[in-house]
Formats: sequence, C-alpha cells, structure tokens
Amino acid sequence: MNWKLPFDIPLVVPTMGLPGWFFDTLGIIVFVVHIAFIYTLIGASTASVLYNITGVFKKSKTDDLLAYKMTNPTTISENMGALWGVAPLLVISVLYTGFFYTAILKVSPHILHIIYGNIFAFLLSYAYKFSWHSLHHHKGFHIAIGLVAVLTFYTLPPVFMSMSNLYLQPETFATVQNIWDMMLTPLTGFRLINFFLTAFSFTGIVMIYLGVKWVKAGGEDAEAGHLAIDQGKKWFMWAAPVNIAVLPLVFFAFSPRISEAYIHTPFVFAPFAASVVLTILFFFLLKRFGTSEMNLSDATKAVVLMVVAVALMATARHGIRVVSFEEPLKLQAEATEKYMNDVIAEYKAYKEEMKNAPAVVLDPAVSLADSKGCLACHSVDTALVGPSYKEVAAKGESADVLIASLKNGSTGKWGETPMPPQTLTDEEAKTLVEWVLKQK
Amino acid sequence: MFDFPIFEMPTIGLRMLMAINAIIHVFVSHGGAVGGSVVLALAAWWANKRNDMASYETVYRLLMVFFIITTSVGALTGIGMWIHANIISPNAIGGLIRVFFWKWFIEWIVFNFEVVLLLFWFMTWKQKALTPEGRAKSVRFGIFYAVSSWVTMLIITAILGFMLTPNFDGQPWVDPEVYPGNVNYNNALFNPTWFPGLAFRTFSSIAFAAALAIMWTWLITAFSKDEAIRNTREGLIKLFAKIMIVTVPVGAALGYYYLLQIPEAARAMIPTAMMTRAFADKMDLMYMIISGIGGAVVVTTIIAYFSPKRMPYIAATLMVSAFLLFWGYEERTREFIRKPFLIYNYMYANGIRVTDVPHLNKVGILKHAIFVDEEKKVIKEDKSNLIEVGHTIAQIECRACHTENGINGLKFLTKGWSEAAIRNRINNLPGGGTPYMAPFVGTEAEKDALAAYIASLNKRGEIK
Ligand code: HEC
Repeated sequence: MNWKLPFDIPLVVPTMGLPGWFFDTLGIIVFVVHIAFIYTLIGASTASVLYNITGVFKKSKTDDLLAYKMTNPTTISENMGALWGVAPLLVISVLYTGFFYTAILKVSPHILHIIYGNIFAFLLSYAYKFSWHSLHHHKGFHIAIGLVAVLTFYTLPPVFMSMSNLYLQPETFATVQNIWDMMLTPLTGFRLINFFLTAFSFTGIVMIYLGVKWVKAGGEDAEAGHLAIDQGKKWFMWAAPVNIAVLPLVFFAFSPRISEAYIHTPFVFAPFAASVVLTILFFFLLKRFGTSEMNLSDATKAVVLMVVAVALMATARHGIRVVSFEEPLKLQAEATEKYMNDVIAEYKAYKEEMKNAPAVVLDPAVSLADSKGCLACHSVDTALVGPSYKEVAAKGESADVLIASLKNGSTGKWGETPMPPQTLTDEEAKTLVEWVLKQK
Repeated sequence: MFDFPIFEMPTIGLRMLMAINAIIHVFVSHGGAVGGSVVLALAAWWANKRNDMASYETVYRLLMVFFIITTSVGALTGIGMWIHANIISPNAIGGLIRVFFWKWFIEWIVFNFEVVLLLFWFMTWKQKALTPEGRAKSVRFGIFYAVSSWVTMLIITAILGFMLTPNFDGQPWVDPEVYPGNVNYNNALFNPTWFPGLAFRTFSSIAFAAALAIMWTWLITAFSKDEAIRNTREGLIKLFAKIMIVTVPVGAALGYYYLLQIPEAARAMIPTAMMTRAFADKMDLMYMIISGIGGAVVVTTIIAYFSPKRMPYIAATLMVSAFLLFWGYEERTREFIRKPFLIYNYMYANGIRVTDVPHLNKVGILKHAIFVDEEKKVIKEDKSNLIEVGHTIAQIECRACHTENGINGLKFLTKGWSEAAIRNRINNLPGGGTPYMAPFVGTEAEKDALAAYIASLNKRGEIK
C-alpha cells in the first residue's frame, strides 16, 4: 500500500481521561442530529417549492398553505443543521486531524462552496420565505427564487460527500488529485443516492408528524395537515424501497482494504438492520395508507423508527472509520514520533551550540545597516541589487555626495536599478556612509 | 506546511482569501450578533416599557434584517474561518484545536443557546406581541440571546489572545522540547491580551451595532408606507445615538488599554501593518486616517443625537462605513503584528514550528514533503529541475503570504534583482527592514533552488 500521510500534530489529544467510546458515541450522536436537520432542510425546501407549483396549477389554496408552512421547518433546519455540523467537525478535527485536513486540502478550493454556496442558498431561501405575501401575484418569479435556492442546496452534498469519502479512505491520498477524482466514483454515487433517498423519506415522516399537529390545531391549518399526512406517506413510500436495496451496498463500495476488513466486524450488520427498520416502517405506513387520518402516537412511532434507521446508518458509517483508520493512525503515530525525536534532538544541540558560541561583538554600524534594510540590497564585497560597499568606497566619492544619494535616492550611477530614498536621520546617514567608506 | 498537500490560491493569494472571509465574519458577528443582540434587546425593552407599539414594530423589522444576515452570512463565515484555516495552515489550526478543544466545545454549546434563542425570539415575536405578558417574555428572550452572544465572544477572544501572547511571565503553555507536547491549558487560556481584547471588542461592537441600527432605522422608516412606523424614526435614532455616546469613548479608551498590553516587538509593527511597507514611515498619514475615522463617528453621532429626525442618510451611511473601515483595519493590524508568527514564538506564519528549524536546516524542508512528486523535490545531478524544486519550496514556505504574480507577488518584489542578490536576501529574510518575515528554512542547496526559481520569474519570455 502506498501510504501518504502527514504527521500528527505534536500536542497531546485533550481527552481529559475520557475513554475512546465516549468520543465515538459523542461523534455518532452529534452527527445524527446534524444529518437529521440536513435531511429535513433538503426535503422541506423541496416540498415548499413543489406544493407552491401544484398550488398554482391546481389553483389549490391548501397546497399553497402547505408550501408556506414548510418554510418554517426549512428555516429551523438550515440554522440548526449548520450549527450541529460544527460539533462533528470539531470532534473529527481533534481526533483525526491529519486525515481530515488532507482531504479538505485535496478538494480545495471547491470545498469553499459549502460556505459561499450555502450563504447564497440561505439568503435566497429567506427571500423566498419573507416575500411570500408580497410576491403573491408574481408566482412565477417567486417559484423561481425558491427553485434556485433548492437547486443550490442540492449542490452541497456532492461536494461534502467527496471530501468525506476521501478522508474516510486515507489510501486514496496518494492518487486522488482533486475533487472530481472522488466525486465521480461509484462510492460517491451510491452514497448520494442513499443520502437523497433518506432525505426524502425522512421528510415524509416529518410531514406526517407536522400534519398530525396541524390537524389537531384545527381551522385552516387542519386542511394543510391532512394534505401533509397524505403526501408525507407518499414521499416515504416512494423513496424507501430503492433505499432499502441500496443501503447495504454502500458499505461495500469503499476501497477493497476497507470493505474486506469491514465484513469481519459487527458493524457489518448495521446497514442491514437499517434496511430492516425501513422495511418495517414501510409496512407500518402501508397499513394506514389511503386515509389522511393519523393519531399522534402512530406519527411518533414513525418518527422513532425513522430516527433509529438513521442512527443505524450513522453507526455503520462510524464502523468504516474504525476499520479504515486503525492502520494509518498507527503508521502516522510511528512516523510522527520518529520525526519529533529527530527534531527535538537537533533543537537541543542547536541551543547548546548557541550557548557555547562566543558572543559576536557587532559593529553598531552593521546592525544599523541591517535594521535599516541596506543589507537587503547591498553586501560588503559582492554586487547585489546595488553595488558592493567595497566598490563604493573604492570609487572614493565624498561623504556628502553619498549622504545625498541616500536621502534622495539615486539612479544611473551604478546601473539602471534605482535606489529608493532611504528614511534616515542625518546622524544615521553619516554613521552609515562613514562605515561604507571604511570598507576599502 | 510541508507535510500536507499544497493548495495555492493564484493572484489574490491565501492571505487575501482568508481576509475576505474573516472581515465579513467580523463585521457580521461583532456588529450583527454580539453588538446587535444587545442593541436590539435594549430597544425592544425601551419601546415596550414606553408602551410605544409603533417603535416596537420597527424594532421587529430591524431584528428581521439582523436575523437574516447573522444566521446566514455570520454563521457560515464562522464555520468558514475553520475551513479557510484548514486550507491555509493545517498545522496551526490543528494545534489550536488540540489546545482549545473543550473551550470550543463549550462555545458550541453556548452557540446552541444563542441560535435557539434568536430563532425563538424572532419567530414568536408577532404572536407574543399581542399581549403585555407576551411582550415581557419576548424581551426576556432578547436579553438571554444577548448574554449568550457575548459568552461566545468571551471564548473566542481567549483563542485570539493566545495566538498573539501565548507565553508570558515565565508561564509557558507548552514545553517545545517534549513530545508529545503537554499543554498547560490554564496558561494558554489566561493570556494577558484576553480580557483587554474582550473589553475593547465588547464596547466597540455595541457601538458598531448602534450605528448599523441607525442606518437601518433610517431605511425602514423612509420606505414604510405606514405613517406610524415613519414617525418612530426620531425616538429610535436618538436611543441608538445615546448608546453610541456611551460606548464610543469607552471602546476607544479600552482599545488604547488593549494596545498597551501587546508585546513591544508586535507593537513596533503597527505602522507597517496599517499602511503597508511603502507608507510605513508616513505616520502623519496614519494619524490622519485614524482621526478621520474617529471624527466621522463622533460627528455623525452628535448629529444623530441632537437632530435624529433630520439625520441625513448620508451621515448614517458614513457612520457605518467609518466603522467598517475601522474593523477592517483592526483585523488587518491584529493579524499582521503577529508576524512572522502564527502562534507567537511557537509557529511561523508558514506553519513551520520554531523547534523544527535546526533539523530541517540539516535534512532539508523537502525531505518530509510527502505529497510532492520526486522530480519536484529532488534536485537532479544536472540541475535541470532546479527551478521546479525552487517553486515547490516557495509553495511551502512563501505561499502563506506571497503569490507568484499577484498580490504581494514575488515577481514584482524582485524586479531588477540578480540571482545573487536574491540569494543574499534569502539569507537574511527577517533582517533587511522586514522583521515580519520568517527565516528561510532548509539546506544551502534548497536556498539555491529557491533563488533560481524567484530569479526565473522575471526572466520568463526573455530570449536567452
Ligand atoms: C532596494 C534596494 C536598496 C536598498 C534597500 C538600499 N540600496 Fe543603496 N543602492 C541600491 C542601488 C540599486 C544603488 C545604485 C544606484 C545607482 O545606480 O545610482 C545603490 C547605491 C548606494 C550607494 C552609492 C550611492 C552613490 O551615489 O554612488 C550607497 C552608499 C548606498 N547605496 C548605501 C545604502 C545604504 C546605507 C542603505 C541603507 C540605508 C541602502 N543603500 C539601501 C539599492 C538599494
């Protein structure tokens, strides 16, 4: 295996004595919350635009109301999704620093799209939401704003997923040169299918849950609630079957080293378990198909099952990390230790040498020349940007001429390159010129 | 640094790439979140106490503007700071996260409060505005939001302070001669510029936010079709001007106090930091700019206070622009005076640790450049790839601050220089009037290669 790994950061990992499983669990939990919000963001923003369109074509007020109501989960999930993305980033940065940063660097500058592209989409989604009533008579324009926002949101997962696939497979560091090398792999393809399908099924469940709440609230909201329940079921049942089939495959699309080792760990059961849970949820909803009545306890059950499925997917993903990082982490630690021992030995020797070296007494004129930047362009005996001081002294011009050259700058006397005027006091100029003239 | 893949930003350079994100973030986080939360909570409380429902409604519209900007631009450029730091200096941000992991984690928890409180405050405002009890509750959300915003600043200023003044009074934060480095977290946290920096930022943020609020109040009241809303201009602008009358002088005084805590060597760099090297000596110009900015703020504040109704839009915009300039300068200066270090006395701006230097001078910087191809890092017998190798060295050691041909470009800086002159300059980078430059690290052969590469930049296209 051609490993190319950076050194580890030579500072202790601040675990505070907490065991490894603590950080594993923490990593999984914060990731599940983050991804749940992101699923909702993708789905809810799509739903809002979709029902806005159907509302126009069917001239249905209920569709329009549902579309408007879906902008609230969009706003909440985009804020919370970004916020909860920070925690996994923090945990990964401290535990797997070298791998994570290498991946980010390899997919730069495209990775910056998750900042700037996101800001763009965020602002458009706000524009879409807050202009709902004022653009009521310009639906085409309004829908266009929402559509661009949604499509921009869709461009973010491919970028992020490419980075993540790179970082999860450190053996690819040697060969992958840029983001496209990773984006156009079957693994990224599989994971994106899995991502979007999960996002749509997840949103289906969120819609059912919100629908039940709205029905309970009564009034105008109740109609939107019924529609949400009805549509939510369809979202889930369209997206789930393919996902149930694709899900277990995803974890075998990683590099052979990882896939082969993965089979021998208990983690291999997690994706299958996730598929089973999704299947159960499918039949649970099938039994309640064809009616837009649903009670809160059923909706809650559906939410719980969905979250369990997502948590299982996250566990399966964590398993990849465990399997994949074992060897490179060890190699990295060995290499870092050797490097740091060399560095520290050399540094100590250097300090010792400095201590024993006889103190050099510098001519104050030399340090003045140094601090004024003269030595950037001049040396005593070779011509650099400007003439050597020996040459200047040999030419034998008077001190006053040279002082004038320093203060006003000089050009054409030694070559084409000019010397810019130097900022010096009269005293300093005199000291320097006297020193220069001594260099014969 | 050398052990990570190399990413170069052509033309604008890495420093500018980072600066764009950083400056936007500072504007929004200071003016929008930290200062904005205080100013708007205060305004909401004030309007509610006087039972002035029109003003209360105008404050809601102000909040909407602040909400949109802080949650999108502010929050994402905050994450952007990390991503940019990853790209520009993985070793530095990696080290900082090792030192400050738990502080960042706590900050993230506080962020949760901040975001949730803001979402709550904003999204329930309308519904709660209907009853007095509701409004009282709503105002309380605003106050808690302000407190949590400030706590996040409390934590992040510790980290900024650490980068500038990590060691002090013989209380080192790490022993560089031990591996793995055992960090003294308390010494790292309680660094001498933490509290001065925090105090200064707190007051100037509030002042900035009040200026922003004045500008937006002007806009909102000017374009509203509602007579009642239009009439709220006078009262609100006067309120914000009052806030400025208190916070501007206090912020300025604290800024001066902060300045005094900065180490001598760093402070000596301020003129260059503010004016670029060419103008570093024109101190009078620097004072003119400072007094220009200060004067603009003071004059517009006075106008706002004494004649809020007639406060011209130009004045409001001028006030905000003066603040933008001020923060831009402040950030540039703060970043610059740390040079040549990223973490003072520990790591250079190019990510090379001070302890690495003697070893790398012996074995060469390229020996551990894992991600660089052989032919770009091993000089061939016939020296045919000397320039290419030199290019790699520039990418590793110089790219943090220089580009090839754009901002602070090596080509422009060495125009008319012979290769020998360049070689000589590389010998003594921090000398020669540029104390903010890191020393060259590597072997003599690598120095030759770097000089050959830099010299080649001005030779291209010439007939040989
Ligand atoms: C930017 C590069 C640069 C710097 C910095 C610089 N010089 Fe020069 N210097 C030159 C050049 C080029 C010339 C030749 C000018 C000419 O041809 O007229 C020169 C010429 C001179 C001469 C000869 C002038 C004459 O009239 O013959 C003296 C003496 C001298 N420099 C001293 C200094 C001192 C002392 C400093 C520091 C305060 C300094 N230089 C800084 C580039 C520089």
